[in-house]
This record gives sequence, C-alpha cells and structure tokens, in this order.
Amino acid sequence: MSASAPKSGGVPAVFRSHEFILFVVLVAEWIFFYFTGTSKNFSGATFGFGTLDAQIDIFRHGCEIGLLALVMTPIILTGGIDLSVGSVLGFSAIIFGLLWHDAHASIAVAAAGALAMGAVAGGLNALLITWLRLPPLIVTLGTFSLFRGLAEAITHGTITYTNFPDSFIFLGNGRWPSFGPVDHPTWQGLPVQGYIFILVAIGVWLLVHRTAIGRSFRAIGYSPEGARYAGLPVNRRLALAYILAGVVAALAGIIFTARLGQAKADLGSGYELLAITAVVLGGTSIFGGSGSVHGTLLGAAAVAVLKDGLSLSHCPQPSEIGGMLTGLLLILTLTASVLPKILSNRRSHRQTAPSTPQPSPPSP
Amino acid sequence: MKRYFREWSVAGALGVMLLALAVFAPRFYEWQPMLSRLTAMAPTLVICCGMALVIIGRQIDISVGSQFAICGACGGLLMAHGWPPVAVIPVALVLGALLGAFNGALIAGLGLPSIVVTLATMVTWREALRWLRQGELINIGSAQWFGLSQAAGQWSMVLGALILLVAIALAMKRLAAGRFVYAVGTDAEAARLAGIRPRLVTFLTFIFLGALTGLAAMMFSVQSLQVDPNTGNGLELRVIAAVVVGGVSISGGRGNLWGVLVGLLLLTCISPALTYLGVEAYWEKAIQGAIILLAVVADGLRNRKAPR
Repeated sequence: MSASAPKSGGVPAVFRSHEFILFVVLVAEWIFFYFTGTSKNFSGATFGFGTLDAQIDIFRHGCEIGLLALVMTPIILTGGIDLSVGSVLGFSAIIFGLLWHDAHASIAVAAAGALAMGAVAGGLNALLITWLRLPPLIVTLGTFSLFRGLAEAITHGTITYTNFPDSFIFLGNGRWPSFGPVDHPTWQGLPVQGYIFILVAIGVWLLVHRTAIGRSFRAIGYSPEGARYAGLPVNRRLALAYILAGVVAALAGIIFTARLGQAKADLGSGYELLAITAVVLGGTSIFGGSGSVHGTLLGAAAVAVLKDGLSLSHCPQPSEIGGMLTGLLLILTLTASVLPKILSNRRSHRQTAPSTPQPSPPSP
Repeated sequence: MKRYFREWSVAGALGVMLLALAVFAPRFYEWQPMLSRLTAMAPTLVICCGMALVIIGRQIDISVGSQFAICGACGGLLMAHGWPPVAVIPVALVLGALLGAFNGALIAGLGLPSIVVTLATMVTWREALRWLRQGELINIGSAQWFGLSQAAGQWSMVLGALILLVAIALAMKRLAAGRFVYAVGTDAEAARLAGIRPRLVTFLTFIFLGALTGLAAMMFSVQSLQVDPNTGNGLELRVIAAVVVGGVSISGGRGNLWGVLVGLLLLTCISPALTYLGVEAYWEKAIQGAIILLAVVADGLRNRKAPR
C-alpha cells in the first residue's frame, strides 16, 4: 500500500495515502453538514445533523450500503464487477417476506432461506463467469435484470410484506445494549445491525488483508493469466468472491427489511452504484489488483453521510440531488485516479519518443 | 450459412415464434396493431444500431436510457415553445452527440471502463432531469407525428428506421470506417499497429450512439401528445438484449446489423406472445434478464467449443 511508499518532500507517507486524503474529505463533508444540517428548535434543543442520534441514524442507514461495498471490494480487486448486488438484495428481501408471510416459516428459517437464495444468486454469477469465462459486466447486467424482475414477478409489483414481529423489527431499529427505563433509556449502545456490519467488516478485512485468498484476489486482478500460470485456483477464488457478494447482499436485504418493517420489490434499487462508488472512492483500482477494505469503509462512510446529510440540511429533493452528486463523485474520483498516470505517461513519452503512441482502450 | 450460423439460428427462432403466433393467436397479424407495434419498435431499432457499433468496438453504454430521456425532454420543451419538429431534430441530435461525447471522452480519453463510466452518467443524467423537471409532463400539442397524419407519421418512422439500419449495415460492411470498428473491437493493439487510432474510433462510436439516441428520443416523443421526462427507464437493457441476442459478441469484433434487426424483432414478438399465452406483464424484466443470459451463454458455449 501507499503507506509503505518511500518518503519524499518531508511529508510522511501516511499523510499522502489515499485513505488519509479521503479521511480529510470525509471530515470536511461532516463539518459542512454540521453547519448546514443542525438547527435549534424554539426551546433551544439542538436537532438535525449535529446530534448523536443523527450520527447513529447515519450509521444505521449506512449499514446496507456498507455491506454491499464491503463485498464489492474483493470483486473489484479481481478486476470484475457485480451490478446485481442491489437486485439480489431486493430479491432476497422478497424471498424472506414470502417465506415468513406466505409459507409461515419462522424468522430464522426465512432468513436462512433468503441467505441461501443469495448464495444461489451469487453462484449463478460465479458459474457463468468462471465456467464460460463470460465478462462479469454482461453476466451481472443480466442477473441485475433477472433478480429484480423475479422480485417484481413474485410481488406483481405491488405486494409488500409487512407485520413482522417486534423482535425482528428490533434488529433494524433498536439499539443495544440499553440502560434505564424502556421509554426513556439513559444510555444506549450501537444500532443492532451495526454489530452485524462490524463483524462482516472484520471478516472481509481479515480475508482480504491477512489471508492467501486475499492476496490471490489481487493477483487475479493484476493479471488473470499470470495468476493461472502461478497455479492459483482462479475459478474457485472468483466463485468465492461472487458467492460471498450474493450472501452478504441477502443479509443486507434482511437488515433493510427489518429497518423499514416491510419487504418490497424495489428495495435497494440503485445500490449497486452506491457500493461501486464507495469502493472506488476508497482507493480500490477499478482495473483490479490494488485496493483496501479500510479504504472502502471510509468511502462507504462518505457516501452514507452525503445521502443522509442532504436530507437533514433541508435541501429540496434530497434523493435526486444525492443521486446526481454520487454519480458525479464517481466520475470525478475515477478521473482523479487515472489523471496522474496519464500525465506522467505523456511526459515520459515526450522525453523518449517524438510521437506519442496511443495506448489501447481497455476492454469493457 | 455456417459463418452466419448464429444469425440464422435467431432468425429460425423468430420464424418458429411467428408460426406459433399464426396458429395460436392469429389476431397478432391484424394490420393496425402490427403497424403500431412496429412504430413503437422504431426508436429502439435506431438506438440498437448505435449500440451495436459500441459493442462491436468492445465497449458498452448503459446510459442510453437517460440520454434518451434528456433528449426527449429538451426536444419536447422546444416543441412546446412552438419550434417546428424539423428544427428540433438537429438540436436533439447535437444534444445526444454531446452526451455521448462526454462518455466517450472519459472512456477513450482517460481509458476508464465503459461500464462504470456509463453507470455513473446514467444515474447523474436521470437524477438531474428528475431534479429539474420533477416528473412534469410536457405538452407538445400539434407537433405530434411531426405534424403529419398518424398513418404517415407511423410509416415514415418505420421506413426511416429501416433505411437507417440498411445504410449503417452497408457502411459497416463496405466502408473503411466500419471495418475500423471491427478491427478495434477484435484487437485494439493490432488495430493501432495497422495505423488505426483506436481511441478516436471508440470516441466516435459513443458520439454516434448519442446522436442516434437523440434522434430516437424525438421519434418517440412525437408518438404521443405529451412527453414524459421519466421515460426510457430500462431502455438500455432492452437495447443491449436485442444487440446481444442478435449475435453481436459482447467481447467485441463480431456481429452485424442484420442480426440485430432479427434479435430486436424476436424480442418485440416475445411480449405480445406472452400476453397471448396468458403470462403476466410483471415477468417482463425477469424474462429480459434471462434472455440476455441465454444469449451470452450460447456465445460462451460456442467459444468454448471453438479452438482457442
């Protein structure tokens, strides 16, 4: 990583790392929303972005994006992409609601069914990508449409599953541990789904940064053929990354259902963009081969703060502006990530050869 | 025959489908609904021509639905202000070309992956339009059917789209520029060594797709009295499905426009066929996805058999 890069100009490498710059951007974003999104009501109590409750809510709302971004990281490290995570999220949520509501399964069984469905969905992506060596973009574009379509077909586009038990709703809306009276607790811990998120984050971090499997993700992204010749089980590693994405997307679907109290077919639509933005923002190369999970966490935080901060700062049409800014943010980050390389290439070419050869455009 | 086996097999599937419809649902062949179905297909066909070029050149553009909506809304606004449709079409073409050029500059100029760039522009344009228009319908009044009668409007659109397709198909086959796109899609580095500028070719295909999307947006807008700025949602999937089903290889360098026409006709027949068979409309998106997957799996299996 860049933290181990040689020092130059007296600035310690850690302050020049992508993660540090992103952290500064995140703090700036936070300060901006602190001043635009916080206000006092007539009795002088603060409310809005600047309160602890609002921060807890941002964490809560960010869990689904964060989970998708976490499992998108290994995939992008291998040089692939998964456009279907948002659709798998919605599809699993519908399967969960269907099992609980229509098949009268218990919450645990329904959740297991939804997770299994996520694994099947990820497995379908993995099968087509590894067995037939099809490009991930077209496979996941197809499953993106397929799973969202199945969710719409099951619900006829209108049915939403509701009336989940309180204990399940607690998973999406409660905080734990909680002290004091039930109505006015004196102290409360993190959102319940936050613990799940932290566990998954630790798991993915260990997988990517502390195991041989994580190294092989980078090796595959750096050079798939090279990884094959080096004897890495490329297909098994790719399958792991896509199936993991399916399972965790299903988990995010269950958490999303618990938070909203309802399962509907359009749950998580557009979340693939948020997840990809978080990963790319976090410094993972879109061409594969390099990146980090802690960068992704910072990127997801930046996306989540932007999403909630806009609605808390009374900006008109926050969802439209939020979507627009996320798209622009992704374009800007991508541009910023390749510009230095292009400029230095151009400079070195000018020194060596009078004519600049055209680098070939990348495959999609 | 063997060389175009892929195209012929899709044409065979279309033939079987048409035959089945003739036996089980002869009402499908009534003239008036058929003409309106073809008219509804014409704008998609125009976009498919551009998308085929982009995919043959080994890229992809999933932002066409949003470009379509923006061009439609802008064209609609101009027509609502009394501009004649003849004057609005060039404006829509240029606007579409600019949107395409933005994608093309990021993809060809900076070498960014087209799927991520166009995912970002898809959402950005779509949300920007929602933000600005808030879903308000635009009344174009007398500009419907370009001011022609309905039948003349429908015929001009269907024939116009077909002529465009034939022209582009011939250009891809006969003109050097068309062969350049195949060369870049097959092997960009080899194309560069052969004296082609691959990045320029990529850039131009995106501009071309954008301009065609602008034209298609106008063809679609004038089909009704009002322009809905939320239109074009999921259009990119329909277009990509038709192109991929029509035998254009997603890994570039293979396919032709005739196959794309057959692919689009097949997809257009599927939804009325499903209606006649009693399948509900909610399944459309799922079937769309399944068709894309089937088409790429068919290509993948064939490539697996072929010697590497």
